Amino acid sequence: MTSVSINNQFDTAEDIKKKTAKPLLWIAIVSIVMLFGGWTSAVIVSKGSSPRWFSFDLPFAFTISTLIIVASSLIFHYGLFSIRKGNSNVLKLASIITLVLGVMFIVSQYYGWKDLYSNGIFATGSKSTSASSFIYLVTVFHVLHLLAGIISVLVVAIKSLKEKYNQENTLGVELSIIYWHFLGGLWIYLFLFLKYVA
Amino acid sequence: MSTHHHHEQDFLFKYIFSTDHKMISKQFLITGFIMGFIGMIMSTLFRLQLGWPGESFWIVDKLLGSWAENGVMAPDKYLALVTMHGTIMVFFLLTAGLSGTFSNLLIPLQIGARDMASGFLNMLSYWFFFVSSVIMLISLGVEGGAASAGWTIYPPLSALPQAIPGSGLGMTLWLISMAIFIISSLLGSLNYVVTILNLRTKGMTMTRMPLTVWAFLFTALIGIVSFPVLLSAAILLIFDRSFGTSFYLSDIFIGGQVLEYSGGSPILFEHLFWFLGHPEVYIVLLPSLGITSEIISTMSRKPIFGYRAMIGSMLAIAFLSTIVWGHHMFVTGMNPFLGAVFTFTTLLIAIPSAVKVFNYLTTLWKGNIKFSPATLFSIGLVSTFISGGLTGLILGDSALDINVHDTYFVVGHFHIVMGLSAVFGMFAGVYHWFPKLFGRMMDNKIGSIHFWITIVCSYGVFFPMHFLGLAGVPRRYYTNSEFPLFENLIDINVVISTFAIVIAFGQLLFLYNFLYSALRGPKAPQNPWDSNSLEWTTPVEHIHGNWPGEIPEVHRWPYDYSKVDESGEFVGGNDFIPQTTPLFQNEKNEKH
Ligand code: HEM
Ligand SMILES: [Cu+2]
Repeated sequence: MTSVSINNQFDTAEDIKKKTAKPLLWIAIVSIVMLFGGWTSAVIVSKGSSPRWFSFDLPFAFTISTLIIVASSLIFHYGLFSIRKGNSNVLKLASIITLVLGVMFIVSQYYGWKDLYSNGIFATGSKSTSASSFIYLVTVFHVLHLLAGIISVLVVAIKSLKEKYNQENTLGVELSIIYWHFLGGLWIYLFLFLKYVA
Repeated sequence: MSTHHHHEQDFLFKYIFSTDHKMISKQFLITGFIMGFIGMIMSTLFRLQLGWPGESFWIVDKLLGSWAENGVMAPDKYLALVTMHGTIMVFFLLTAGLSGTFSNLLIPLQIGARDMASGFLNMLSYWFFFVSSVIMLISLGVEGGAASAGWTIYPPLSALPQAIPGSGLGMTLWLISMAIFIISSLLGSLNYVVTILNLRTKGMTMTRMPLTVWAFLFTALIGIVSFPVLLSAAILLIFDRSFGTSFYLSDIFIGGQVLEYSGGSPILFEHLFWFLGHPEVYIVLLPSLGITSEIISTMSRKPIFGYRAMIGSMLAIAFLSTIVWGHHMFVTGMNPFLGAVFTFTTLLIAIPSAVKVFNYLTTLWKGNIKFSPATLFSIGLVSTFISGGLTGLILGDSALDINVHDTYFVVGHFHIVMGLSAVFGMFAGVYHWFPKLFGRMMDNKIGSIHFWITIVCSYGVFFPMHFLGLAGVPRRYYTNSEFPLFENLIDINVVISTFAIVIAFGQLLFLYNFLYSALRGPKAPQNPWDSNSLEWTTPVEHIHGNWPGEIPEVHRWPYDYSKVDESGEFVGGNDFIPQTTPLFQNEKNEKH
């Protein structure tokens, strides 16, 4: 319903979208950072104030997850390079691989949670403490955000299969990639935080 | 040259699911006002109880029904009403109602944009707000009553559903409503920031923007960094309440029974809550500061004094507001050194605040002031900002605060500095931009009477509260007449409550003026206040896309009022020069 109107600077609704889509995404990312920032500061406050705080080793699966998500980011980015050079076939492949790696990441996280659980580290219930609940909380909410990322990669994959992208039109890919890199960065932050601070 | 064509939109998309910022602005205004009136009626009802404890009132009986047997409010319902009153006023009226209305109306119009960056997100922002309002109101009617732990919903009261009646379903709905509210607020803020940064018209540099727009920008930025932290706090609380975690709970007995929680800390909640809570008071206040800067300059026909200082002080306030939250926690057993740090950062805010007050006064000084209701309310804001700010110095100092913490001194302070200032700014904005919102003029005489009743009664209600607080009367008490200690304070409570009743009736004048003018008021001229800013160049009747032809180009800042040349004549012949006017020959291009 946006009006198509002549304006002295940007001609169409399409131009406005081009101009504002990335800043909108960046600011949304800032607010997600603050959400997780709230929780990780909460970990520090709880750790400092609770006599019953305890630390534990992270499951090995989380390390695997880290490798998976880094790999997916690199591959997805390679897809963007290619479409900028006009090669859409690489993008098709790259987005599909990213999609698969995204799902693998979630599977790997699931094994991580299972591992924690079998070691007596519980998310809720009488045997849980805030120390054990926090690790589930941040990792689960990271995966929830990742689901949105997977949907966006799925859209990119479908659109690239339909040849909707070309050298001039890469906005959708870029948006998806920014968010995907952000999710990777967020995971690395959480991983290091849980490993060395919590 | 315009290819802009009107398409007939059906009713649904024009009035309900509109993506037009002007319509969304009106939606926010009306929803916000409805919530505000409900919040005000609640306060009047519990003022009846505080002024005349235990007495039966016909109106209390009628409005509250089973919450007030024989017309006397039940104690737990008192708590529910105070909680809902605070929540509604702070979030629904003065966050969504205020920012939602004026950011939406003025950002595109004043920077020269056809609409917000994303009309769709903007529409979502309103509808999330609407849904959260409805849920909040529904929570009044559920079993056990609405949330009763105060608008700050501290655990363990809020974390244990079995703690008090209001900790049950009412509290759950409060949390759901607020989570939706936060999403609404974030969607709105996102749009405001991106629109301001990316969609300004030609010539509209950042330092040619009206101070309103600067204020909305800072407000949105603070919201973006602090509301997610409240969301993080609320999510932890939801887990504690419903899923058996113990983020905020540790070793708790209830009714002699040990609960299975371990390792958490209720203080954690206070940190997270106040990391939003303090910035929130500036989210409430900054839009009003921007609105009144604009009005005071326009109506005193003088350039705003210290334009850059105004921006700088808003920036300083916005930044400082994120590092002072500890001043709400001086009595939590905080390390005294840390208390001193928070005292220091808190008192620093006095500097930019004083700069702003100074600039308001110097702008007014020797101005050719036109006393519209908007001007009066703006000056009213300057007054409350000073008188409420002064008691802030006392509360910000940890050594002093410990004595008056959680007393009526605090209630007096925050109502004056935040409640009154923000409400006055909002009234000022509505009176000033009513012609832009509804294409008609409000009645000035009724407006002025409304102002005088409001300001006199406001001080009548909140000023005496400081004395109650100094005498030790705690806040959130159902009655404070049952303690021998406070016996000789009963008269003060009667005075406060009387003023509270009068102020509530006074608002009916506004309501009448608003509704009557919106439907029957005289048609507004193009530029009723001889103002410089861009919104007055758009047609009085709203059109999609704001300007029928090209968006005008901007050539100067918005505060060229009463500009004279060397011979003492007005430059351009008028005491105002719209931003769209190119520089005159020989006119000096000044830096501001
Ligand atoms: C109609 C004018 C108003 C009256 C007469 C009024 C009266 C009161 C009173 C007496 C209390 C304290 C009750 C207690 O502690 O037991 C209170 C609490 C509160 N009011 Fe108002 N108020 C008014 C308007 C506002 C406005 C405009 C705001 C917006 C900021 C506001 C925000 C609050 C908040 C945040 C609380 C604290 C609630 C809590 O303790 O959780 N009030 N009000
Ligand atoms: Cu504060």
